[in-house]
Amino acid sequence: MDVRQIAIYGKGGIGKSVIASNISMALHEKGLNVMQVGCDPKRDSTRVLVGGRLIPTVLEKYREEMRIGKDENAISLEDIVFKARNGIYCVESGGPEPGIGCAGRGVLTALQILKDLDAFGKYEIDVAIYDVLGDVVCGGFAMPMRKGYAREIYIVVSGELMALYAANNICKAIKRFAERSGIRMGGIICNSRNVKNEEEVAKEFSERIGSKLVHFIPRDDIVQSAEINRKTVVEYAPKSNQTRVYRDLAGEIIKNKSFDIPTPMEMDELERLMMKFSGEVI
Amino acid sequence: MGDKRIELLSTSTERCFDPYLRCALNGAAQTVLGVKGCGTLTHGPQGCEYLVYDAFGHQDCDYTEVETLCTKLCENEIVHGGEDLLAHTILEAKELNIQALFVLTACGPEIVGDDIVSVCRDLQPQVPFKLVPIESAGFKGSEYDGIDIALDVILRKLVKDSKRKISSSVCLIAPHANANPTWMGDLEWVKQILSQMGVQVVATLTYKSTLNEIENVASAETSLLLSHDAGKKAADYLSSEFGVEQICQGIPLPIGMTNTRRWIFDLGKRFEVQGIAKRLVAEGERMVVETYRRKGGYFFEVARFQRTPAAIVADATIGIPLVRFAIEELELKPELIALRSSRPDAREILEREVDDLGISPKIVYGTDVYKTKKSLEEISPEVVFGSNIERHAIEELWTPYIFEVVSPMRRFRVIDKAYFGYNGILNLLEVVQNEFADRWRSKEKRYKARW
Repeated sequence: MDVRQIAIYGKGGIGKSVIASNISMALHEKGLNVMQVGCDPKRDSTRVLVGGRLIPTVLEKYREEMRIGKDENAISLEDIVFKARNGIYCVESGGPEPGIGCAGRGVLTALQILKDLDAFGKYEIDVAIYDVLGDVVCGGFAMPMRKGYAREIYIVVSGELMALYAANNICKAIKRFAERSGIRMGGIICNSRNVKNEEEVAKEFSERIGSKLVHFIPRDDIVQSAEINRKTVVEYAPKSNQTRVYRDLAGEIIKNKSFDIPTPMEMDELERLMMKFSGEVI
Repeated sequence: MGDKRIELLSTSTERCFDPYLRCALNGAAQTVLGVKGCGTLTHGPQGCEYLVYDAFGHQDCDYTEVETLCTKLCENEIVHGGEDLLAHTILEAKELNIQALFVLTACGPEIVGDDIVSVCRDLQPQVPFKLVPIESAGFKGSEYDGIDIALDVILRKLVKDSKRKISSSVCLIAPHANANPTWMGDLEWVKQILSQMGVQVVATLTYKSTLNEIENVASAETSLLLSHDAGKKAADYLSSEFGVEQICQGIPLPIGMTNTRRWIFDLGKRFEVQGIAKRLVAEGERMVVETYRRKGGYFFEVARFQRTPAAIVADATIGIPLVRFAIEELELKPELIALRSSRPDAREILEREVDDLGISPKIVYGTDVYKTKKSLEEISPEVVFGSNIERHAIEELWTPYIFEVVSPMRRFRVIDKAYFGYNGILNLLEVVQNEFADRWRSKEKRYKARW
């Protein structure tokens, strides 16, 4: 079976890592072998999966080997892939210190190392979840799409204008690389911020960009509690409503067979959409 | 997306398809390698260092006089930044017997934000030589832009203000910019003329210049720009900061009888040695005419080019003065002038020349190989002044003669010839004559040449 390679994109702080971790957990419950790859120099994507610690990153290890005169061939999977107690394989790409170097290139280097070492093959991975940082701010950050590592893209939004603006920009990148690397848009995930008419906004946005709203995740304080307790919601409160939502979302993603090339909107069109649902008059 | 880009490529003839010029790093390297007793450290991947080796050749450098170093950046430094490696390399250079270390950046480190200026500033107290950081990423422009960038940093960082001006002195700017095999011969001729006029050369920016000469450049009374492609910014800076007067401004460089005469007279007037200038011109012109008369009958057959349509494809330094040379010395009819650069001051000179000569050729500024080829196809000249590139470009055209006068020259090797001055005229005539004679080696060429 081919590895399902799923990337979660979205505006910074929208809740990508929480959603990615809970999807990973929910998929693992379904008996799938899951690897979550954090593609962010902040390296905190897998924090709740591994009990609250920050695992060593691929680039950290890479740099260590370079420093002592070795190359990337000196890295082994055992150095960079960590199996959490819950059974999920966790990887963090890492990146340079803030303000220097190229994080985008770093993410690509890390993914290339994983590929060269045949990480998916060795651990017999069924689903790989890439949790990609913030917005697509430069060519480098789009690399997971560009090089075809991520095959299906899901964008996390809320009903706020800037979250949709970021999502629209990511759609531009997907459209750009769709022909070259075969990536496709899986859909939109709305992570509620309790904005007026939020689900409707997200639904219409999804349709306007030629995609679909995969799932609406309501806001729930249990997410915060789980994070403080260094756990995914699925582990922390397995019987909660929020866990049911994550399980449903994971189910939707895994059975999704309809992928699209998005048609991004113009900014004024996006603003008009927001006006329509907020009740504001231009 | 893909369609849009393809459309752009196919419809816009303004795009550069095949540049003649190297990048800014090459120009910056060419400039700093002209300073003796110093070192050059390229902060970039090893491929970029090749451009420095290329510049090394153009500056006729000597490994005993300059040191070349490279940080040889790899993926690790692009991901994490290469400042540590740069610092490490600078500290390792401590042992070298150099007066200054010019630190140049290639594209990679500038894209990822390596701050070479801060690294140099922090390390300056720890090294016994001056650190001169020059942000010269290739994407900043052509080799001419790189020359301007490097000269700007060198002048701002190294030149000491001098209240005392040396009487009848000059600073020579950018003689190396065109990188033709004749630039050193041209520079030598300029120095000889100045010497005969009793003018002291305070510094040459740059050719085998010492750090001391560069530091004292503000004591020069005048500056003499030896390029129409680069160096004007440096001349302007010296004028505005240190009151160094620019001379021979707005006229073509001394190639051909009229240009040389005008240029020498301008110098003579400025330094109040009109008598010497007159003598130099008279002696030079007599030498050319007598040589031509003696050899003309069996050696120079260039008169046969009268009214032949011609194209000049060259750097502005050589290309602009060649226009008058082609008309006055060879009686050619220039119908295409394609210059590799496009500086406003150079454009003004060319446009004045064209007006003055009463011609209306097609002019292409900032040409690339593609534009040149298209223009040659359009004009169909019978004679082309150019390089080896044009030699190939005209292969499919009905153009019998190509005079290889600028880089890249593959057909001939030139050691120390000049185009400037009176010997320069004979040297150019020699190139023309050799190509003329060469037609007898090819039946096809002979037919194309119609005799």
